[in-house]
Amino acid sequence: MAPDQIVFWVFAPVSVGSAVAMLFQRNAIHAALFLIVNFFTLAVFYLVLGAPFLFAVQIIVYAGAIMVLFLFVIMLLGVDREESLVERLRGQRPLAIVLGLGLAAEIFVTARASLGLARGPANFDETVNVGGNAQALSHVLFRDYFLPFEVTSILLIVAAIAAMVLAQRRERTTVEAAGEAEV
Amino acid sequence: MLAQFLIHPPIQLGPIGPELVLTGTAIVVLLGAAFNPRIGHSTLLLVSLLGLAGAALVSIGLWDWGGELTVLAGMVATDRFAVVARLILLGIAAMGLVYGYHYFRRSGEARAEFYPLVLFATAGMTLIAAAADLILVFLALEILSLSLYVLTGISARLSSVEGSMKYFLLGAFSSAFFLYGVAMAYGATGSTRLSAIAHALAGQTGSLGLALAAVAFLGIGFGFKVAAVPFHMWTPDVYQGAPTPVTAFMAAGTKVAAFAALIRVLETSFQPLTLDWTPLVWTIAAVTVVAGSLIAIAQTDIKRMLAYSSIAHAGFVLIALTAAGQDGISAALFYLLAYALMVLGAFGVVMLVSARGEGRTSLASYAGLYRRSRLLAGLLTLFLLSLAGIPPTAGFIAKVNVFRAAVAAGHWPLVLVGVLASVVAAFFYIRVMVLMYMQEPQDDAEPDRSPWPRVAVAVPAVLTLLFGVFPGIVLGVLDKAAILRW
Amino acid sequence: MLSEYLPIAVLATLAVLFGVASLGVSALLRPNRPTRAKLAPYECGIEPARLPAGERFPVKFYVVAMLFIIFDIETIFLFPWAVGFRQLGLFGLAEMAVFIALVFVAYVYVWKSGGLDWREPAPRRAAAAPPTALEPEAREVVRAG
Repeated sequence: MAPDQIVFWVFAPVSVGSAVAMLFQRNAIHAALFLIVNFFTLAVFYLVLGAPFLFAVQIIVYAGAIMVLFLFVIMLLGVDREESLVERLRGQRPLAIVLGLGLAAEIFVTARASLGLARGPANFDETVNVGGNAQALSHVLFRDYFLPFEVTSILLIVAAIAAMVLAQRRERTTVEAAGEAEV
Repeated sequence: MLAQFLIHPPIQLGPIGPELVLTGTAIVVLLGAAFNPRIGHSTLLLVSLLGLAGAALVSIGLWDWGGELTVLAGMVATDRFAVVARLILLGIAAMGLVYGYHYFRRSGEARAEFYPLVLFATAGMTLIAAAADLILVFLALEILSLSLYVLTGISARLSSVEGSMKYFLLGAFSSAFFLYGVAMAYGATGSTRLSAIAHALAGQTGSLGLALAAVAFLGIGFGFKVAAVPFHMWTPDVYQGAPTPVTAFMAAGTKVAAFAALIRVLETSFQPLTLDWTPLVWTIAAVTVVAGSLIAIAQTDIKRMLAYSSIAHAGFVLIALTAAGQDGISAALFYLLAYALMVLGAFGVVMLVSARGEGRTSLASYAGLYRRSRLLAGLLTLFLLSLAGIPPTAGFIAKVNVFRAAVAAGHWPLVLVGVLASVVAAFFYIRVMVLMYMQEPQDDAEPDRSPWPRVAVAVPAVLTLLFGVFPGIVLGVLDKAAILRW
Repeated sequence: MLSEYLPIAVLATLAVLFGVASLGVSALLRPNRPTRAKLAPYECGIEPARLPAGERFPVKFYVVAMLFIIFDIETIFLFPWAVGFRQLGLFGLAEMAVFIALVFVAYVYVWKSGGLDWREPAPRRAAAAPPTALEPEAREVVRAG
């Protein structure tokens, strides 16, 4: 067995296991911790597939920043808060399961049918990742896709405005609410 | 090998000039308000409107662009379709800004961020109309969506925040589908450029199965943005919860922008697969017009009613898309223009009848509106007639054009469905008119009598009549714009 | 190819082993006499306090986390840019300058509109009192902050 296969078979059960465990946790913090494990195994898969840049992104952005955000949100809402698990819409869950399975089957069949037709290079690693993955990526990102790259900065500005508008307003209303409670 | 990396793509900023002006203005307004919190909102409005006017001038300058078909490494299309879509969007944004200035001043919820957010959303909308690459389409879609999520929740009312949350969750979900579609299109053809995808599919070098899956997934993403059934669930809650000027801006702007992108993607990239996607669009169009018109009957709130009506109108534009080619695109463009005018006008009247905030949006508040304000009753009547597609309004010409294009393409059963749905829809539009003219007022609440907003609402009214009586003045321009060059 | 990452894998394994081993060894060797103070989580010498059930953290934390993500994403773009910098040349430098300038606009906006201010009283975490004995005023402060 090739080394990348060994790595895959070591991490695949961990990945699936942590994902399943995350779903069945009642405590939000525990679920978040399992999610971190899952993010790390995904990062390893990216590495095995020859995408070290995605590996770095996965660790820095997802396991780092996004998880911080998750934990903050959990704390904002209160750790002890139990969510009501009663369905408001009757029959929603079985319908969702059936439709979800249908979608999964559809994707599977499509992917399966297209595999035979695919004309992509088999030795992906050597043809696409010329000079290293991050280098190849930088040439695509900063040359062919330089406009989307600049547009991303506008998206980040809007995200900053979004955080300020939504958070500042709510703060003001809670202060008012506290003031009213005192009166 | 290394030498080729030194060459950068030629940089022609002209074709994204409107977006540069818009984002530049947005940044100036944003920082201006941040550095000087006591700046008057009338100043912010004025600067924003100047920015929109500047962007419009730059757009018009692109009408006779003689250069390449796409610029900036094939990212931006330079055709007249983009010019026309941009001009419509800039007009919508101007109306939204004027409404918003008035509305938030009266409701006491004024926030300086409103102006840059609308400008950023507009920049996203105009960019999406010109984007010639799926990645850029996605980013522009995200810019406009993110801005609109925030604008929906900019008021502290609970329904506004709830609408924002619902819009965000479902919107993020649909964005994921869209992105998956982009990935599949890339997997099928090896490129995200719309023209390269078309060439790969026409030359049958791509993978057909993946390409069809890409169409389906991109369709889900677009279906959500244009509020086509069955991806419409968010629309009524969001349209009702958002502050009325935001609803007007969102209802008109998102639909025009998303349809412009949908038309470009279907008619360039997946043009070789036209026979495969037409039945899909056909079915969604039929379901959308029927469901939108039927559910609207049961509504008791005018904003919800208009939301379902906007769903039905998305269906009519989809009917135009089943007629591929110049006829269909031209009919869709005129329909979008007419729809933008009447929906801006109708929500403008709703804003004025509510007088302050969201007080009176139930249909009962419209009882006897004629006695309280003849002008508002008259304006709303005009917009409702146009929404119903009754002459002499732009809505009538728009429906006729769409039906004619679809019949010419051989889709007469779909047109039959559309006509029947229009008849059903006419019922609830006329019901509002009956309420306004034939019933006694239930309360003596005064509608908003400020003069300038009335002038603003009169602008779409005049245009609705003008394009209804003399459609020729724009049809010629739209026909010239209905050719996608790639 | 994967062999380049072998040192990282070895280091990670060693780290895990060290953690597990120190806990295991100390569990075997130490006398087991727990007291309340010993079992409390270590918070830099401050007596740990929980927010009372139903109380929430101030939303400012969230704004900071959100800003962190925004600038984290900016950093992510710097990584491939730095790797390909020599080949990208002046064009690469210019486009990254524009990008950073635009993201800097977001920073200036947040700074100027008070997103980074922490002047309002931070939640007094009732230093001395156990969580259940929070006075009513302290509760109000927690909510208002």
